[in-house]
Amino acid sequence: MTRYAMTVDLRRCVGCQTCTAACKQKNGTAPGVQWRKVLDIETGEFPDVRRTFMPVACMHCDEPPCEEVCPTTATQKRDDGLVSIDYDMCIGCSNCVMACPYEARSIAHDVKFAYGDKPMANEAKMFDPARIEVASKCTFCIERIDQAHEQGLTPGVHPEVTPACVNSCASGAMLFGDIEDPNSNVSKLLKETQSFRQHEELGTGPGVYYIWDKNDEEL
Amino acid sequence: MNSSNTKTVPSYCYNCVAGPDPMKVEVVDGVATQVMPNFDACDSHPGKGRPCVKAYGLVQKTYNPHRVLQPMKRTNPNKGMDEDPGFVPISWDEALTLLTDKLNSIRAKGLIDEQGTPRTAATFGHGGTPMYYMGTFPAFLASWGPIDFSFGSGQGVKCVHSEHLYGEFWHRAFTVAADTPYTRYVLSLGTNVDATGGPCAIARHADARVRGYKRVQVEPHQSVTGATAAEWVPIRPKTDAAFMFALIHSMLHDHPRNELDIDFLRDQTASPYLVGPDGLYLRDPDSAKPLIWDSEQQQAVPFDRVNVIPALEGTFKVGHAISVDADDERHQLNDIEATTGFNKLLDHVAQYSPDWAARICDIPADTIRRIASEYLDNACIGETIEIDGATLPFRPVAVTLGKSVNNGWGAYECCWARTVMATLVGALEVPGGTLGTTVRLNRPHEDRLRSVKPGIDGFMEQKLNPTDKENWVAKPTGRNAHTTLVPIVGSSAWSQALGPTQLAWMFQKDRPEGFNLPEPTKPDIWFIFRSNPAISFWDTRSLNKSIADFPYTVSFAYTLDETNWMADLLLPEATDLESTQLIPIGGTKFVEQFWKHKGAILRQKVVEPQGEAKDFTWISTELAKRMDLLDKYNTAINRGAGGVAPLRGEGYDFSLDINKAHQPDEIWDAVCKATSTELSNNEETKDLDWYKENGLYLKPIPQKSWYLYPTMKELGIRFEMPYQERLLRIGKELGNRLHEKDIAWWDEQLSEYSALPEWHDIPGRWETALKNEGADPDDYPFWLLATKSMQYHTGANVSIQLMREVSQNVRGHTGVIMNSNSAAKLGIANGDRVEIRSNIGVTIGRAELIQGVRPDTLVIVGQFDHWATPYAKDLEMPSLNTIAPMSLELTDATGSGADIVRVAISKVKGETS
Repeated sequence: MTRYAMTVDLRRCVGCQTCTAACKQKNGTAPGVQWRKVLDIETGEFPDVRRTFMPVACMHCDEPPCEEVCPTTATQKRDDGLVSIDYDMCIGCSNCVMACPYEARSIAHDVKFAYGDKPMANEAKMFDPARIEVASKCTFCIERIDQAHEQGLTPGVHPEVTPACVNSCASGAMLFGDIEDPNSNVSKLLKETQSFRQHEELGTGPGVYYIWDKNDEEL
Repeated sequence: MNSSNTKTVPSYCYNCVAGPDPMKVEVVDGVATQVMPNFDACDSHPGKGRPCVKAYGLVQKTYNPHRVLQPMKRTNPNKGMDEDPGFVPISWDEALTLLTDKLNSIRAKGLIDEQGTPRTAATFGHGGTPMYYMGTFPAFLASWGPIDFSFGSGQGVKCVHSEHLYGEFWHRAFTVAADTPYTRYVLSLGTNVDATGGPCAIARHADARVRGYKRVQVEPHQSVTGATAAEWVPIRPKTDAAFMFALIHSMLHDHPRNELDIDFLRDQTASPYLVGPDGLYLRDPDSAKPLIWDSEQQQAVPFDRVNVIPALEGTFKVGHAISVDADDERHQLNDIEATTGFNKLLDHVAQYSPDWAARICDIPADTIRRIASEYLDNACIGETIEIDGATLPFRPVAVTLGKSVNNGWGAYECCWARTVMATLVGALEVPGGTLGTTVRLNRPHEDRLRSVKPGIDGFMEQKLNPTDKENWVAKPTGRNAHTTLVPIVGSSAWSQALGPTQLAWMFQKDRPEGFNLPEPTKPDIWFIFRSNPAISFWDTRSLNKSIADFPYTVSFAYTLDETNWMADLLLPEATDLESTQLIPIGGTKFVEQFWKHKGAILRQKVVEPQGEAKDFTWISTELAKRMDLLDKYNTAINRGAGGVAPLRGEGYDFSLDINKAHQPDEIWDAVCKATSTELSNNEETKDLDWYKENGLYLKPIPQKSWYLYPTMKELGIRFEMPYQERLLRIGKELGNRLHEKDIAWWDEQLSEYSALPEWHDIPGRWETALKNEGADPDDYPFWLLATKSMQYHTGANVSIQLMREVSQNVRGHTGVIMNSNSAAKLGIANGDRVEIRSNIGVTIGRAELIQGVRPDTLVIVGQFDHWATPYAKDLEMPSLNTIAPMSLELTDATGSGADIVRVAISKVKGETS
């Protein structure tokens, strides 16, 4: 079996939002819709302050709460671990938006472009009317993953079939691959480091692993 | 997106000095849709083929509906913020006719005006990067004649100015970086390298963090780089010199000598040079060479005597010597007591204990001592490393300085202290240590190692502006008077733009009493490209008025903006994805571009230009043709002005017919062929089509070229550290020249020329300046700093919606950063609309309250407060530049000013939280 997952090395991330921009461009999301972004988090009080950057997006959970509440089965977890949305089936009820503990989903109710009502040439080219009034979120660049087999390429190894955010990351903080494959980049990295997943206590089984510094444990 | 008409096209992003970085652009049915990394360069580019976030804005930049897409001429003869320029579209033919008529009228009058300055001025943006978007325009400028680059767009106040000048002086370091892949410990004073260092710096530091290096970030607010550091030390603004002096004190007075690199100090620096009672080097009476003390023969001998072990410390009786003062005044010295430069340093810093600095810097003395200890602990004295088969010292500790630490008052002290810290442990220009990146004031630009030549007194040869009576340039050749006032900036091609550019603006309006230099003129014509000084310099409202007074301004325009609002002619150039240019890539370059390859990379026409926008090379050629300058223009291109290599070299000749007007592709095809042939030593030739397909051409270079130490050793040259006898003498000479002309207004700047920099209440200068302006410093209790944003930094992209959107995720991009506790005392809540007021003006934005900033400090990210640029003008973002005064009093000897201002902050009246 294949289980695609992502690792995010918090030791590397500089919060630059290159992944945010690359995702928006590759997926043609409307202004204000961010399928992924990097949180800029502050803890502590002056002068003992910690500032941390944390990339967040859909966690592609093992037990997705969004799937459970979807009345039309538009949201489905695939065998390879990706949580997908069938826009034709989605009725935009927002159940999934509310159910997701990671605030990873949103619904674009209006057609919006960067500069007013008229799309630029690139926006016109990328605009997908099927994504209006339906839930949307990070897909792990699902169409790239789906091309991998026919192209004989490996997601996480070959950029053509790897999520745009992972490709773009200037600090190399993100990796992608099959955690069921012990020789994949993500498996090897997870074996060498310590990691956590967001809200593991909820039992959702997130598919995004955060790698962090052992020294941070004391902070 | 999948389509049969989809292709990916290689190109580069060079929107900031941290580039160029390779990238690819996806084009679907002729429309650019997305930017992506160029993984073909993954193994050669230190950033692994990835561009930074700014590059992703280039698609919107191309299709931005607010672009100027047709030549425009001004119809309103009045200029000012409140005067609608009344731009009307015209044809390219009319635009170029207007321009050539203007240029011909200037040529008829003479290229130099009555005051001796060029009638033509030009201002290009950040760090020379516009060069890499202006095609062959440099060749046109070369064919034209003298150009005044005095009017800066932020140079001197927004860059690391003093580092440029002193860095090249001491170790050919136009900018300075840690040898990040090898270092173990980096002391970073305000260096925001994770925001402004581009993918190369980001990737290198990320690797180093995972490897386990430690970076201590010393800065008043916790920047992006502070966030990724192991430790944040919130220092009081502009006290960095005191902190570093105390570190040096601790290294010298709290630790045993064997924790220093004694061999390096003795053999590679001026530490053993003897200094006499007059503060000058003792010199051999016959040769005038500096003396050292032969510890075996117990006598003073010239520094280059072989088989001598010089004494590093001690006081010695010298029977007969001379010293050479300013203007070659020679003193005979008999039976005097001398000490070494190292001893002078030792005595000098005795006063600067950590306890002394703690009060000034608001950093506990124990923290200062601990950092000094950590620095020494990690220096690995005595260790070596193999690089390219050579055994080099391994000293994995580095010190880096950020903007406002290394410009303005205090910058000389900090640059000196940083270099001294490296020197004390032999960590200067060796693996793991503090390195220079490239040269700009010295030549050749592409190889800083070759810029090093033996000079006087055992040091590097320096090409300084003369200060002796016979050769001093009493009449400035440009409006910022760089050859007259700033000896160490030199007079090479880059020097003028690195001169005191704020003086050029200041002197347009006011001149100090007893100015006694030719009264500055306005340029007859001013070219502006990829630059918006009306926003990016200081005292911008006043600067606007100066710009409005310029008689004829030509803007190569992307959108309307605050500077070209005053222009007479707007010429739309084909932007990043629409035009062609071949540029150098690789080698070593700022900020942390340390490659193991070098070569050339192509920017190509990814998509057809929008509207009537024209390739800059086409514009340049048309101008040359119409001005009857084709021969000179093509000759300049043949010499290499348009690219990276001369078109004719040993064994190859791709030179252009100098009498013909060549199309851009014809020109760049020749440049591509010449470059690849030269790079491959005539082994292969790659044409434009090959570059279009493959993007870049590289050849390997040795990593050893990152380090200056082997060259210095090979040439027998010492680093001019720690004692600054030469600078002391130059300062005295400059003072003599100025005083001979009764110029006293530069006297305060002359005080910077000291052999060993002293603490001089640097932050107090801002309070004194307020008092001298009739203001009460107590009315301005906060320091306001500006910090850079990766999303915007020099990207000329404030009108790009994507950058605005993603930047909102990074703190500081919604207004002004303020300490929450300080805000509470003033009744300011998060998101409140606040006014930040200096003694010259006010800027308005939203309060962004955090804990990671000193209670006495406010921070504004980027440069905003636009009033003309479409989209940006609606953001209501504050800007330090609106309220920072240009002040001679706050200008240092290099002509730079620190990006900092004293302010008050309050909630905008009538608004509730």
